[in-house]
Amino acid sequence: MNNNQNHIYFDNAATSWPKPEKVYEAAEKYLRHPSGNPGRSGQALSLEGERFIYNAREKVASFFNISDPARIIFTLNATDALNIAIKGIIEPGDHVIYTAMEHNSVLRPLGNMQRNYGVTTTMIPCSHKGEPDLDFLDDSFQDNTRLVICNHASNVCGKIMPLPEIIEITRKNNAFILVDAAQTAGLIPIDATNVDLMAFSGHKGLLGPPGIGGLYVREGVSLKPFREGGTGSHSDRDQQPENMPERLEAGTLNTPGIAGLLEGINFIEDIGINNIRDHEINLTSHFLDGLKDITGINIFTPPDYYQNVAVISLLLESVDAGELGDILENTFGIICRTGLHCAPLAHQALGTYPEGTVRFSPGYFNTLEEVDYVINALSEIASLRKL
Amino acid sequence: MGSSCYFTFPTTYNAIRAEKILQNSSSCHYRMVPVPRTISSSCGTALRCSCDDIEIIKNLLIFHQIEYEHIHEVKEENKSFSLPNFLKKKRKKPDEQ
Repeated sequence: MNNNQNHIYFDNAATSWPKPEKVYEAAEKYLRHPSGNPGRSGQALSLEGERFIYNAREKVASFFNISDPARIIFTLNATDALNIAIKGIIEPGDHVIYTAMEHNSVLRPLGNMQRNYGVTTTMIPCSHKGEPDLDFLDDSFQDNTRLVICNHASNVCGKIMPLPEIIEITRKNNAFILVDAAQTAGLIPIDATNVDLMAFSGHKGLLGPPGIGGLYVREGVSLKPFREGGTGSHSDRDQQPENMPERLEAGTLNTPGIAGLLEGINFIEDIGINNIRDHEINLTSHFLDGLKDITGINIFTPPDYYQNVAVISLLLESVDAGELGDILENTFGIICRTGLHCAPLAHQALGTYPEGTVRFSPGYFNTLEEVDYVINALSEIASLRKL
Repeated sequence: MGSSCYFTFPTTYNAIRAEKILQNSSSCHYRMVPVPRTISSSCGTALRCSCDDIEIIKNLLIFHQIEYEHIHEVKEENKSFSLPNFLKKKRKKPDEQ
């Protein structure tokens, strides 16, 4: 039972919990054992750290079917990776296309670049099911369109984006494609060879600790460094080296986080990502089926759960979203997330702006019994609060 | 008196890649070491090996497309090192003082 201190955790889209036992052990081991700063001189501990980072990089690369591990950089999280990508590739005067389902980690950097660097943008509208208008996308390209940004799945309604079509349209129009895989890495098999840039979170589906994420940068795509500093190489120069991964990785890396991430990926490979996906589809379909009998409920997750990740967004007509979250937590011990989920435009598309929704995001360690418990809780609240 | 040879690399990432390749596909004796001060290098880690093995290692690195900067030969002198006085004092046991 995924239960600690009388709480049932259903907020894996924000950060996954619990983690596999080996993730805790790896992060702790890395802190307890003497370890040098990776890449800082050839002393034994530093070298050991660098070997460890190299192996982790290789593991992440092969997990996403990328042949050259040097094209993977470690970041703080997906937001950090998106900032590095967006601010590294866009030049003043460029045009950028993004979808209505994007997170604030895309919308805010773009807003900044619009206000301060003369960048123009076009938003691709999405239906109330979270589907982007692909004809609109095809018509949105301009001579100066450099980048298209699209998430792999929505953190609000769970809808998986039609990436193959979006990539094809982007390629045809000679722009770069940046994919935000925060909600899918570790949950859906990903082959990143077809994208130019891919940001991912290490602490959600990949089951690592918070504070670790990454960015894939395709060979031939050059980014201006978002942060500059020590790399342990070319130390005599006052500029960031050209070589990857050092070019985009200034400063000391989060080695305990990377150690945990590595074990998270090992866990996923041991279980099999398709088995994890099947379990999440089971939980989602069971959840959606159970909600059908509750009166006065509005569900904003598309019913075709094979096209979703495990995110269920809903509202009860008789209870405010924030209050529902409060009752679920304090009366039933259920942890979920209420509000706008840092994606205001997605809520506009779904018709849930500005109130937002109540979001349940089960993970691999949740069970069908826990889903039943949530359904019963919602059913009880709905019947007590009839309009 | 003898000499050792050093491969230097543009980045530590390349140095570690080189080490990994040698581990898996060569019987050459080598060691990853801090770059000696007589050598200039972009990264602080070098691969030290016998000068007899240079060609084998070079060919392996080229085959695996691992970028290295230079190969240096460094003559080694037999020097006996003595601890500085302040360290000698520090190492005395309390009952000896």
